[in-house]
Amino acid sequence: MAEDDPLEPTGIDAGSGRATDHDQYLSVDDVPDIAPTAELSWRTRIIESIPAKRRALKYVVAITIAVLWIVPFIGLFMASIRPLSEIIGGWWHLEGMTVTFENYYRAWNYSTAPMGQALLNTFIVTIPAVLVVMLLGVMAAYPFARFEFPLKTTLFFLILLVMAAPPELIAMGNFNALREFGLFDTYMGLILIHIGWGLGWVVLFLRNYLLGIPEELEEAARIDGASRYQIFRTIILPLSTPALVSVAVIQFTWVWNAFFFPLVFMRSPELYLAPQVLPLMRGRVQVEWGLIAAGSIMTMAVPVLLFLFLERYYKRGMVAAVAD
Amino acid sequence: MVAITLENVSKYFGETVANYQVNLQVTDGEFLVILGPSGCGKTTALRLIAGLEQPSEGAIYFDDDRVDGRSPSARNIAMVFQNYALYPHMTVAENIGYPLKVRGFSPDERDEKVEDVTSLLHIEDQVEKKPGALSGGQRQRVALARAIVREPTVFLLDEPLSNLDAKLRQEMRSELKRLQNELEITTVYVTHNQEEAMSMSDRVAVMNQGTVQQVAPPQELYDRPRTAWVAQFIGSPPMNLFQGTRRNGSIDLGEAGTVDLSGVLEAKEAVVETSERDDVQSTALLASDTQGTVSLGIRPENLTLASTPPPSGNVIEGRVDTVEPMGEYILVNVSVNDQIVNAKVSDRTVSRGDRVYLTFDTNDAYVYDTNGDLVA
Ligand SMILES: Nc1ncnc2c1ncn2[C@@H]1O[C@H](COP(=O)(O)OP(=O)(O)OP(=O)(O)O)[C@@H](O)[C@H]1O
Ligand SMILES: [Mg+2]
Repeated sequence: MAEDDPLEPTGIDAGSGRATDHDQYLSVDDVPDIAPTAELSWRTRIIESIPAKRRALKYVVAITIAVLWIVPFIGLFMASIRPLSEIIGGWWHLEGMTVTFENYYRAWNYSTAPMGQALLNTFIVTIPAVLVVMLLGVMAAYPFARFEFPLKTTLFFLILLVMAAPPELIAMGNFNALREFGLFDTYMGLILIHIGWGLGWVVLFLRNYLLGIPEELEEAARIDGASRYQIFRTIILPLSTPALVSVAVIQFTWVWNAFFFPLVFMRSPELYLAPQVLPLMRGRVQVEWGLIAAGSIMTMAVPVLLFLFLERYYKRGMVAAVAD
Repeated sequence: MVAITLENVSKYFGETVANYQVNLQVTDGEFLVILGPSGCGKTTALRLIAGLEQPSEGAIYFDDDRVDGRSPSARNIAMVFQNYALYPHMTVAENIGYPLKVRGFSPDERDEKVEDVTSLLHIEDQVEKKPGALSGGQRQRVALARAIVREPTVFLLDEPLSNLDAKLRQEMRSELKRLQNELEITTVYVTHNQEEAMSMSDRVAVMNQGTVQQVAPPQELYDRPRTAWVAQFIGSPPMNLFQGTRRNGSIDLGEAGTVDLSGVLEAKEAVVETSERDDVQSTALLASDTQGTVSLGIRPENLTLASTPPPSGNVIEGRVDTVEPMGEYILVNVSVNDQIVNAKVSDRTVSRGDRVYLTFDTNDAYVYDTNGDLVA
């Protein structure tokens, strides 16, 4: 039977001898419920976890780069918690180190420009600039992602064009405009400027994200009887939470750290924002490195905390926006 | 519950003709299946009924109301999408309750109805889960539950079983049919799986290239395919079509033999006379001895194989190409005039290269003219 034509299987009788050979097969009961765990002694585990030479080399390089990257931050932090006399010679001398929060305390209440007030001012500008951009952004992005309307491509192109413009040039025009509207040296003016500049990338980012939400979901909702507004509120918004959180974090950092716009549009010292206040802390006789360092750390801390707090949301948003 | 009527409905997407002059009546409470190959416009037809697309031409009626132009929510339809389109951020209960919520039902009423349908579809245990945590079959049930929870008048399904494995598909098939019987909702069901179409439907609408080829109950579709295309589309494996020349009241199939046309005609006469079509012309066509090409169609299950030429009857001669044992039957592929002909037989008596004679009963033969229309 060995030379059977491959096109002709060997008929029914070929299997008759196999009726009894159960031992060839496993019973379902023999399949373990859980995969077996590898049982290793501590010794072997430790030996296995020590990387091979090439791997070790890669680790060394990576860690070195990471340290180089982080050194300035460490320096800043050290400078902020030590008295000026100790850091004059270099923050890296660790002998006889005294830890003090004096710098933070003084920066917070610094006479010409108290950091406490400046941080509060920055919140006053940043929070509306972020919330309004999110709201307007998603409302503008949705039609770009879903509807057909005249001049859609042209308008979208315009938005991209605005993003490409250099702020330093446009700021001249903004300056004049704010003067004319009487919004110069007001938070309202600064907030509007930030909204204008933020909206471009936010619309682009959210549109790309919304394009990735299956249209079928909205069709299902239409059939279920939902109105356009209900679809937006109960389907689109909840599904775009990750993207909205990403937008919030990035826009927050951007507005919070902005130096150029407040510098151009804010004149009254009592209205100064945190990044503006930092250079004022230099001191008269001697540069007060400790104060500047403490002020910088306080300013930086806010966006960093926000990043950490919202991390699990915006990571998903970024991946989705890039993937589509 | 309503009857649906499509009147000369066409749908164009730019230059693409998705549907062309579709005429279709779905009677109240009927289970109609739209069957056709991929890209033939089934989904488009369903979306037109749903109101997700508006027809480029023609009119759609629910009973006597013209509905084209109305929004989907104004038509009180329910639809199950191919990938179910469950809302990923809501739990199963919220998904099912969503149509009620947006239509303003009170939470108590909502809970009650959701409870009813979940027990009807045996998904009570899943209500707290998100769709992502469900198996394909469970998602399917949730989609069905969401569709029936608000008691729609029309139920539209777009290949809802295509993502399921064979066993589950079988199960859901009978469950869907049972559900439709119980609820008596007018249902339009789209599929490209003819087994599904045949087993579930009251009537099948066969579509090709955007237009309806034949609407008939499953058995009639199998017994009397209106065109050669439908004949070849229905049945597995499809019907064998032989090209032949009409000569003196018989069909000449070249080297393979000659089939007595009068026999075919006689056998069919009764059917021809009772059918609605005006068949005077085709009878004349067959009887006349003008020359012309026709196609002779015979289903694989109606062919009998013999190794010696039978004394009488219609015989087609060929050579065995391959033999495929399918378990239930044996499929023999016979090469006739360089064309492969399928025959279903029950015993294996032939092998590759054998000369065989295919015989058939004249009752089982179909004749199609050059346009592909059934003449006998
Ligand atoms: N929104 C659209 N824009 C452009 N062309 C479309 C659109 N929808 C469908 N078509 C075209 O219309 C034709 C019919 O599509 P349809 O989706 O109705 O086919 P189908 O029968 O459902 O196919 P399948 O079995 O693969 O789902 C196709 O050629 C398709 O490319
Ligand atoms: Mg389709």
